[in-house]
Amino acid sequence: MNEHGMDHGALLAHSVGDFVKRGADLPRVRALAQTRAEFDRAQWQQLADLGWLGVLAPESCGGLGLGLAEAAIVAEGLGRALTPEPYTAVAVLAVRTLEYSADTTLRSELLTGLVGGDRVPVVACHEQADDVAATRIATTATPFEGGYRVNGQKQFVIGAAGADGYIVSAQAAGELQLLWVPRDVAGCATGLIALADGRSYGTVTLRDVAVPREHVLASGKAAQGALGRALDHAATIASAELLGVMKSAHEMSLDYMKTRVQFGKAIGSFQVLQHRAVDLYIQQELADAVLREVVAQLDAAPDDRARALLASRAKSRCADAALAITRAAIQFHGAIGFTEDCDVGLYVKRAMTLSAWLGNGRAHRTRYAQLAAQTTGEAA
Amino acid sequence: MSDWNAMDDEAFRAEVRVFFENEFPAEFKFLPRRMRWHECRDWYLKLSKKGWIAPNWPREYGGMGLSPTKLLIYLEETERAGVGRMPDQGLTMVGPTLIRFGNDAQRKQYLPQIIAGDATWCQGYSEPNAGSDLASLRTEAVPDGDDYVINGSKIWTSMAHDATHIYVLARTDRQAKKKQEGISFLLVDMKTPGITLRTIRNIAGHEEFCQVFFDNVRTPKKNLVGELHKGWTIAKGLLGFERLNIGSPRRPLQALEKLEALAQARGLLADVAFTERLTQLKLDLADLGSLYGRYVERARRGETLGQDVSMPKVWSMETFQRLSELLIEAAGDYGAIDGEVAMGDARIDVLSPFYNSRPGTIYGGSNEIQRNILAKYVLNLPS
Repeated sequence: MNEHGMDHGALLAHSVGDFVKRGADLPRVRALAQTRAEFDRAQWQQLADLGWLGVLAPESCGGLGLGLAEAAIVAEGLGRALTPEPYTAVAVLAVRTLEYSADTTLRSELLTGLVGGDRVPVVACHEQADDVAATRIATTATPFEGGYRVNGQKQFVIGAAGADGYIVSAQAAGELQLLWVPRDVAGCATGLIALADGRSYGTVTLRDVAVPREHVLASGKAAQGALGRALDHAATIASAELLGVMKSAHEMSLDYMKTRVQFGKAIGSFQVLQHRAVDLYIQQELADAVLREVVAQLDAAPDDRARALLASRAKSRCADAALAITRAAIQFHGAIGFTEDCDVGLYVKRAMTLSAWLGNGRAHRTRYAQLAAQTTGEAA
Repeated sequence: MSDWNAMDDEAFRAEVRVFFENEFPAEFKFLPRRMRWHECRDWYLKLSKKGWIAPNWPREYGGMGLSPTKLLIYLEETERAGVGRMPDQGLTMVGPTLIRFGNDAQRKQYLPQIIAGDATWCQGYSEPNAGSDLASLRTEAVPDGDDYVINGSKIWTSMAHDATHIYVLARTDRQAKKKQEGISFLLVDMKTPGITLRTIRNIAGHEEFCQVFFDNVRTPKKNLVGELHKGWTIAKGLLGFERLNIGSPRRPLQALEKLEALAQARGLLADVAFTERLTQLKLDLADLGSLYGRYVERARRGETLGQDVSMPKVWSMETFQRLSELLIEAAGDYGAIDGEVAMGDARIDVLSPFYNSRPGTIYGGSNEIQRNILAKYVLNLPS
């Protein structure tokens, strides 16, 4: 932790609080189904100007060099506001992948650009569902003079709508490579698949894409290590977004229960609803407690296995708690909760997309079970 | 004395593990019920002599002053070694309460006795007609000279038959406007004339609790904790410590240890459906550790615990029950057998966690009452 971490944390919490209070994102999120404008340039630049894109990034690249605790504060706030921009995908997954890659000119260029808001690199590493550590990779990198030719297809790429390039994982003679592929390069095609919350997954198809040697970010064990760590950090910060979503949604339910009158009383006075609300609040507080603990321990995890176990605890609890809380919000609101006009639906849908991305609760429990059964330090 | 918190976690774990494994008497390991005082006295004194009897107390009172992380390790190793539950009310309830609400004379008189094993305590709270509605209690204490004279009866008093002392909630002002007002918190020596006991067997057939009768029982006025008529505040403070104690992962861990041993013995880890349920419960328990740690830290800083400490109580005891129920299910046909069952290399008492996990959702305020409290004071829902 940075020696000034507390100060930065308090400052961040304050500025995040201001951002969230405006609630400006709800109308924008509501319109996404029509506009598909999940990546608003001006909005993104604002996140950059606030310094949030660089919370984790090294100071040498213009970042703040802070820790996951601070990134979690930002992500929780953005989750509360339902901000659709891909904060975790870019400012955590891409930043960490680059940060843990080899120290090259390209790396500092990308990081510096990312922090400033004018470059938007995203990681395209998943090819199959439930592949939490993104190790099942069929994409190939075939050496040719001056670099690699890459063929394959990547899925579930959050942030693709606004990306200007991809950090792609590929196999070259049994060695993992992390390669930089600009979005508009010949042979690279981006398809967007609409998600429940109006955002999209990118499907990135690579056909004989020529990647020059200087676009190799990391190779072999280093590449595997960089991606593995980055994915666990991203799953954890996505959990913080989920925490923000569930807190907003549950507050909304509680407010409604205090004001909605039936049988001559506020419905929040009915014990059966009180107990349901309490049970969900316990889930929220478990999620909060796990997230704080994981965020505090992740960087110091003694090995890959310990780190992966922590990240899976966070994602499993936060994903399922967010789903339970947002779904219950529909029931607490009654018929109005089932309408498009009601904001409840926006929270339900964001909880669904954030839960599914980077491994849902079940996928993380499966990984947790496999790792818990092992005794070595190698993550699956 | 060592600064345990300065130690490396794993070194601390290793030290605790070795001690518990080597020193806890083999014949009492994984006892299916609470330990009686005559069974655990030697162990209690051994821990006391080592300075390990009060892991959660501040060091100035003879405790270990453990941080949440270290305390969790201590509790995990306690369960791992199969160390049984001793009469621990002095350590978990009276100590923290006197530290928080008592006066110097009371702390000086009672805390060293608890550490030394010279005093074991029980809780005089519930009455035959005051269970969930504790504040409607009718046991009465009337001032007379230098004493209070107590008449009435307490029930479900765990391990009262092993206790040397009892703390009692008694009505001292019958005219008070609200039933919560006019209650006082008194300390009483169990040897005082006028106290009689009737033991009660629990559902598993063990003599775990008692009804305690008070017939003109005199306790000196210096044994009043806090102010006269203001005992409800202390009672609630103590309930906070009680909820924190019940909310510890310790007891569910006991069931998890058994469940994992049984799964191993019966080859259930190859069963995907079982593994999913086991993993969910393991995470429920691991995450309880995170939540519990939050309150341990607050208690350690001397903060009064808020009503939200009901959360770990609810979650811990319900997780314990879910684990105990999966244990029975995973035992298959063996799940009907009373006492230890031989399965593969293991001998497992399948039913005892089921019985041991039942009262935890009832005592310390039923889980339904805890939910009422959380709804009212934490979620601020209307009544």
